[in-house]
Amino acid sequence: MARGRNIDEKDLLAAGTDLIEREAVLVDERRWDEWLALFTPDCEYWMPAWKPDDTLTADPSRELSHFYYASRAGLEDRIFRIRSNRSPASTPLPRTTHVITNARAIEPPAPDRMRLRSNWVSHVFFPRSELSHAFFGHVEHTLVLHDTWLIAKKRIVLQNDYIPTMLDIYCV
Amino acid sequence: MAPRDMRDLVDDRPEEGVFRVHRDVFADPELYELERKFVFERTWNFLTIESQVPKPNDFVTCWIARTPVIVTRDPENRVRAFLNVCRHKGAMIAAAEQGNTRYFVCPYHGWAYDCAGRNRDIKDRAAGAYPPSFDAENHDLVALPRIESYKGLVFGSLSPDVPPLEEFLGEMKVFLDLAMEQGPNGMEFVPGRVAYTYRGNWKLQLDNGVDPYHLTSTHVSFIGIQARRRQGEGNLDARQFDWAKRAKRQSGVFCFPHGHSVFWTDQPEAEKRPIYPTIDEVRARVGPVRADWMLRARNIQVFPNMQIADAMTLMLRTFRPIAVDRTEMRSYCLAPIGEKPELRAWRLRQFEDFFNPTGLATPDDTVTYEDCQRGMSADGFSWLQGYARGIAGLAPGANAPAQELGLAPAASAIGTFETGPETQFHPAYREWRRLMAAGFAGRKAY
Repeated sequence: MARGRNIDEKDLLAAGTDLIEREAVLVDERRWDEWLALFTPDCEYWMPAWKPDDTLTADPSRELSHFYYASRAGLEDRIFRIRSNRSPASTPLPRTTHVITNARAIEPPAPDRMRLRSNWVSHVFFPRSELSHAFFGHVEHTLVLHDTWLIAKKRIVLQNDYIPTMLDIYCV
Repeated sequence: MAPRDMRDLVDDRPEEGVFRVHRDVFADPELYELERKFVFERTWNFLTIESQVPKPNDFVTCWIARTPVIVTRDPENRVRAFLNVCRHKGAMIAAAEQGNTRYFVCPYHGWAYDCAGRNRDIKDRAAGAYPPSFDAENHDLVALPRIESYKGLVFGSLSPDVPPLEEFLGEMKVFLDLAMEQGPNGMEFVPGRVAYTYRGNWKLQLDNGVDPYHLTSTHVSFIGIQARRRQGEGNLDARQFDWAKRAKRQSGVFCFPHGHSVFWTDQPEAEKRPIYPTIDEVRARVGPVRADWMLRARNIQVFPNMQIADAMTLMLRTFRPIAVDRTEMRSYCLAPIGEKPELRAWRLRQFEDFFNPTGLATPDDTVTYEDCQRGMSADGFSWLQGYARGIAGLAPGANAPAQELGLAPAASAIGTFETGPETQFHPAYREWRRLMAAGFAGRKAY
């Protein structure tokens, strides 16, 4: 019985890890519609800011965030802007390579819901300035099983928050 | 560097309707070295707001150009400012951006200071075989020669030879009131750090922060997002006003002495502003004229290092030159202390939407500054043509909107948002030229 549960957990974690790795691939390959489809319509997408006491802002309704979207509509704004060809910061679009590692379950996964923590490094090349920068941090995904696994919450921790010129969603 | 004729850098001939700025003002490394000395180190600079240091022994760290500064609230409850520099070997004694401490202990050899700047310990002093000459010296932190506050905004000067702060600010005080009196209990910076850099001269931010003309070209994608939101798509939590309604709205400029200026617009859809639900309280406290002006869009600059924008939402930004072609930015969400949670969340979503370097608008500005810097570094052209719009509409003294506020600016203009004036840039370059000329001539700045 215990062994059976372990196998289930492994399968669940494999499915979750597959999703967060696929998410990174879709961003790097700019497959935006497929990327948006990974999120539930009511997803929360959040990158808190740092405070002087070396903690992160904890309440997006009282404190500032780098991003805070209470639904997928905020991400749709982003993709609209990227595709508009009228955003200097997005034209030419910076190129990214995401490296995702150390995916771990934060709590024992349930058959229809799990929370994963993973590390990320995003190497970004800015064609306009011909400079590269690596943003890095970790991320907590809350995944839910609908017909397929989807992202219900994504909380991104940006460790190097002294931002050179700009940062868009594809940089993290 | 050989003294430059300032007329070759800032061509200011109001009687002929000419105002031009030479690209060297942005791109010449030698001028940059001198402007730190002749401009930033000889006039008032914005440091922080008092609500960042509410309790005794609170401190924040900041900069005046290349000089690290600590602002403290001392044990006697006075706001103080010191160089963030140990007297022993020059190490910065406070590394944190903000905190509370009874003692700043230098990490190098352990000298300790209190929040009044007093040296409280020289480690192993008795065994140190110090000569009498050392004992005769003062070992306290170096206090900034001048520090004064206006409505909770703390300014400091590295030169003692500056006029009183209120004289320096002049009628800009009214526009600082319009920001700092929006809440009945004062204003605060909402927690959460926003710090970024760009590879361009600090004056690119100086101009852009009061520039309406770029909005309909640099931010076309943002305008497109607003149009989508009118159809119910996208992040409606950000509650942006309708940009399409703004073009024909009344708009204007006030130019003040000492480099300060204002660009204002009659904001469409004032109900999108987070102070709107509290406007009756505001009106009762500040009067109907000022309450109406709080609902107008205002972009103001306090030369040389601070701007307040209150159009998309209220923000205060400060900038620090790091190199001729590199600038550090800090932007703060300025909000009423004790604001209702739903209004605070409303404000935050607007701020993040537009002003964050991770938002939908500021990145389009910063990459464009970098384009400018590369272009300005090119030989083959000299004068920039970006200071001429609105000159024909600028008149000395007060116009009707200025009189409504009881102001007597050096110059005023009125038009529509589409006028996209550039005359509000002039005071800063005029003051820059004055300070640089004084520096080259070996005169005091004031």
